[in-house]
Amino acid sequence: MKNFVYHRPATLAMALPLLSDKWGPTELLGGGTDLLDRTKDYVSGPDVVVSLTGIGGEFRQITPSFPPGRFPPAVTIGAGMKLAEIAENKDLKNSYPALATAAGMIAGPQIRNMGTLGGSLCQRNRCWYFRDEHVHCLLKGGKKCYAQEGENQYHAIFTAGHPCVIVNPSTLAPPLIALGATAKVAGPKGERVLPVEKLFQAPVKETQREHTLAPNEILVSVTIPVSVPQFARGCNASYEVKQRETNEWPLVQAAVAFHFEMDSKVAKGVRVVLGHVAPTPLVSEAAAKALEGKEVTEATAAAAGEAACEGVKPLSQNEYKVQQLKVAVKRAVLLAAGAKPYWSEG
Amino acid sequence: MAKADGWPKKRRLLGTRVRRLDGPAKATGRAKYSFDINRKGMLHARFLRCPHAHAKITSIDTSAARKMPGVKAVVIIGVGRTGFVSEIDGSKLVYRVPPPKKEAKKKKDEIFTVEVKEGVTLISRNKVVKLSDLKPNDPVTVEAEQEAVGRELFYAGDEIAAVAADTEEHAHDAVRAIKVAYAVLDHMVSEEEVLENPKKKTTPGELEGNLSSGKEATKGDVEAGFKEADAVVEGKYGVPVISHQCLESHGLVAEWDAEGGLTVWCSTQATVAIAGQLAGRFGVPQSRVKCITHYMGGGFGSKFTPGVHGFAAADLARRAQAPVKLMLDREEEVTTAGNRPSAYGKVKIGGKKDGTITAFAIDCYGTPGYTGGATVNLNLLPYVYLDAIPNWKRSHSVALINAGGAQAMRAPGHPQNCILTEFAVDDLAAKLGIDPLIIRRKNLPPNNPKVKEKDPTAWLGRRNDIYNEQLDIAVRLSGWKEKWHPPGKGPGAGTLKHGIGMALHTWGGFAAGGTTPNECHVRINKDGTATAETSTQDLGTAQRTVTAIVTAEILGLEPTDVVVNLGESQYGFSSGSGGSTTCPSQAPAALLAAQAARNDLFKKVGPRVGADPKDLAIEPGKVVDTKNKKEWTWQEFCARLGMDEAKGKGEWSLALSNEDDNAGISSGQVAGVQVAEATVDSETGVVRVKHMVAVQDCGLVVSKLTCESQVCGGVIMGLNYAVFEEIIRDDVTGRQVNPDMEFYKLGGLGDMPKITVHLMDMPERGVIGIGEPPTISTAAAIGNAVFNALGVRVPILPLTPKHVLDAVAKRGKAK
Repeated sequence: MKNFVYHRPATLAMALPLLSDKWGPTELLGGGTDLLDRTKDYVSGPDVVVSLTGIGGEFRQITPSFPPGRFPPAVTIGAGMKLAEIAENKDLKNSYPALATAAGMIAGPQIRNMGTLGGSLCQRNRCWYFRDEHVHCLLKGGKKCYAQEGENQYHAIFTAGHPCVIVNPSTLAPPLIALGATAKVAGPKGERVLPVEKLFQAPVKETQREHTLAPNEILVSVTIPVSVPQFARGCNASYEVKQRETNEWPLVQAAVAFHFEMDSKVAKGVRVVLGHVAPTPLVSEAAAKALEGKEVTEATAAAAGEAACEGVKPLSQNEYKVQQLKVAVKRAVLLAAGAKPYWSEG
Repeated sequence: MAKADGWPKKRRLLGTRVRRLDGPAKATGRAKYSFDINRKGMLHARFLRCPHAHAKITSIDTSAARKMPGVKAVVIIGVGRTGFVSEIDGSKLVYRVPPPKKEAKKKKDEIFTVEVKEGVTLISRNKVVKLSDLKPNDPVTVEAEQEAVGRELFYAGDEIAAVAADTEEHAHDAVRAIKVAYAVLDHMVSEEEVLENPKKKTTPGELEGNLSSGKEATKGDVEAGFKEADAVVEGKYGVPVISHQCLESHGLVAEWDAEGGLTVWCSTQATVAIAGQLAGRFGVPQSRVKCITHYMGGGFGSKFTPGVHGFAAADLARRAQAPVKLMLDREEEVTTAGNRPSAYGKVKIGGKKDGTITAFAIDCYGTPGYTGGATVNLNLLPYVYLDAIPNWKRSHSVALINAGGAQAMRAPGHPQNCILTEFAVDDLAAKLGIDPLIIRRKNLPPNNPKVKEKDPTAWLGRRNDIYNEQLDIAVRLSGWKEKWHPPGKGPGAGTLKHGIGMALHTWGGFAAGGTTPNECHVRINKDGTATAETSTQDLGTAQRTVTAIVTAEILGLEPTDVVVNLGESQYGFSSGSGGSTTCPSQAPAALLAAQAARNDLFKKVGPRVGADPKDLAIEPGKVVDTKNKKEWTWQEFCARLGMDEAKGKGEWSLALSNEDDNAGISSGQVAGVQVAEATVDSETGVVRVKHMVAVQDCGLVVSKLTCESQVCGGVIMGLNYAVFEEIIRDDVTGRQVNPDMEFYKLGGLGDMPKITVHLMDMPERGVIGIGEPPTISTAAAIGNAVFNALGVRVPILPLTPKHVLDAVAKRGKAK
């Protein structure tokens, strides 16, 4: 690991001036579950590391707000919140199981006790070529994406137009986007708010990250708005296909949110977001459209799954993920609607 | 060797569930592994490794690295010669290198001349010296760094140099400051590429290309056998290269003492062999080299030699005159410290409606990496059924690739044999429309009546009976009769498919061969304590507990009363812990040592208490005079030793176990049956193993609890082999893409099934090793369970969702 200067500011205001306006010289440290690996593996070599662990206030809070007569509540989650805290938060568990379950399924307890919301959203990708010090890929200033023709079983299946075929590694982004969340970002010019969806991009060169923040900006918090109309029942869920029970990246993930009016079983306001299948979390308009205004049944859920795969272009080794994605969307829809999981034992 | 008493007929501790003696030390971290050893002034070492899969060094310059902060020593790998000073001429050293001992008569000394300047290191009597320190005929090792130029490196990870510095970080920095330029050469990292280019040469050795083909054998008339069959199945099955993934990586701490002796705290399976090899390499008497391995975090066959890292650590330590720690990091562990070779085979099998297999043909290949031999155990194919199938044909070729070389791994060749055979057997059963249980019963290896007549306890005379009994037990414990269904025809129409499968295995597990027997020494002190000493190592197999149980059994003590000192090479000879030989070598040695110590106690104390040693016997906690009906508490009796101590030495080996007088103390050869129950999510391809039944014979069970634990460990390892593990290499870069524990997958607690272990108690056969057998058939049984669940064969392991869905999709397209 290269030596670096370490700062641990007590406030965001103190942290911001420490950041460089270029990618590379400075890195933000949240839980360290990504940055430490990268620096030890000589994939990243910052001169300055700015730890955010000393920052309190909004950055370290989960704040629900209950507008009169409306449920579920809006919730603001500080970027410094630990994954375990998100997974265990009662309001999130009750109202936004898509987010709470996704947080609770990330890696294992050690990672969840260290890793943060901000880290989950802003971490670097897990492509094994990118993570190998000796491979000079597109994202490290090289000329070539080695995964395109190489070992790509865990890579993107939505690859059209993407010179780099990583998958975005965030498991919290798809549920947040499905729930219509916004992100608050602090920078040298003050604060700005943007949809979480707009927080992501497909990087193609060394000077880009998997997110759209500037190098001298810090993600402060994320807010899930009140999105379910009055007298309607909000439904949301995330479903991941994983090979192992724990300490495992999802092979594919689907997060869905919609609502039922009164006693209806008809899905309204459908949002479907796909994870771990493209260089960014992917909003699937096609899947949403397939389900919108339909009663939720195995057949309509499956149709949404089929629609989600529109435009898919798998690589040489990952066609299997297309099948899994169809199933993940179907299962997420059924889970959100409160159906008994047909895929479980007993 | 005196005639052995044999094992006690009445077993008080043997075969019972005794808790692992070092369990609390391990669970609390008190147990010190090699990784935990920190010596005063200790340095840390790191390697510079070749980043390319195949390259030549075109230039090397360590001068900047040598000046880095904290750097104390640098070793260049693969260069350096040891000989004697002939002449010193200014800054020139002329030295002669004698030929290897074998060729000493034919060849003359070779003469070399070196200009001694920066980048040339001289070592004499294990110390770095200046040219002016040397005089003619002094021993000298000359390392000229520029001789590394032109050296060919054969895989990504091949060692180039090692550096020792005051901190690990400084060592890392220094390694990165070594300037090396490479000429990158063509590489091949997949078996298929080697098969397609059999003449292309990218690996060392005599072969014309990377492929050595053509090991073949035949029995009977294979074509006639297939003609006779009611059904014939052909398939291609296989399993990739995997890593040992030792939780404690390879490595050691090396420290030289003022007398020129060397001590290493080494993570090894062979303390005595390590000491011997280091002594040989550094020209030190073996009595001055000590290898200590009190605790060991997994070797599985990969830790028998010092390895490049072991020699480098000791070399750095002598150069720096300070202790050096060199433990491989995870990437190094996975890419360079050994592997289990791959095996892929085209298999054709034919059989009759009643399940009789009439013919079996296999053509297989695999890779051990850039060096190494067979990747299956060809002499045992078709596996288990070899002696029952009348007509078979087998052939095997080895494809060398640009990757780290193989090391033995828990039952070398057997798991691959088992997969290649047992997958085909179940596919044949499916085509014949019969229960796989029937086809197995029908083709079990026959008893050898001649052996049975001579020795009714011997395995060869009764193996058919043992397998049948094991099948009975496995069928009962797994609920096979209720749970088995024709492949893909399980109950329910849901997406979660249930399946059950089985496989058989066999292994040796004899006492260690070789000319020197394994030793154990037992001492009884006047305070009633007993100490057992042996140089053997406890790999996590509970050898410490085994030695205590045996000693305590004979001396009427509890296992916790016995202090066991093991894992130090100076405690007499022991062989490496491989081939499941440790318990069958060491338990008898402890038995004989304890009996000899007991006899010595009786001889010394008997006259002092007025008893004839012949009449004395031990009962729990006491010594009794059987003739005069007198008794003493153990403490009281031992106190009469006064200034004496009672001691005994035990020795055991394969040769001793074969002596007629020694029948029933240790033997070998075992059968084993495993049944796997699994579910497959047919929509996502995710496999979950739900229950494993492992039925195992291992003769006389010494330590039941840890023996069961070892079977569980074998099953877990086999499950990972079946479902998760695979070394994945990129053809373009030639590098392993998953040298970690992130995408090199191992199951966690949540992925583990219920494991039911049944040990058959056969005390008449004596002790037999259990290390290898219980991991052999697990993967094949799980593969067969998945076939039973889906009705589709997933032919290539691991059973990842990708492989499962690809197999299902392929079948769908074929229909």
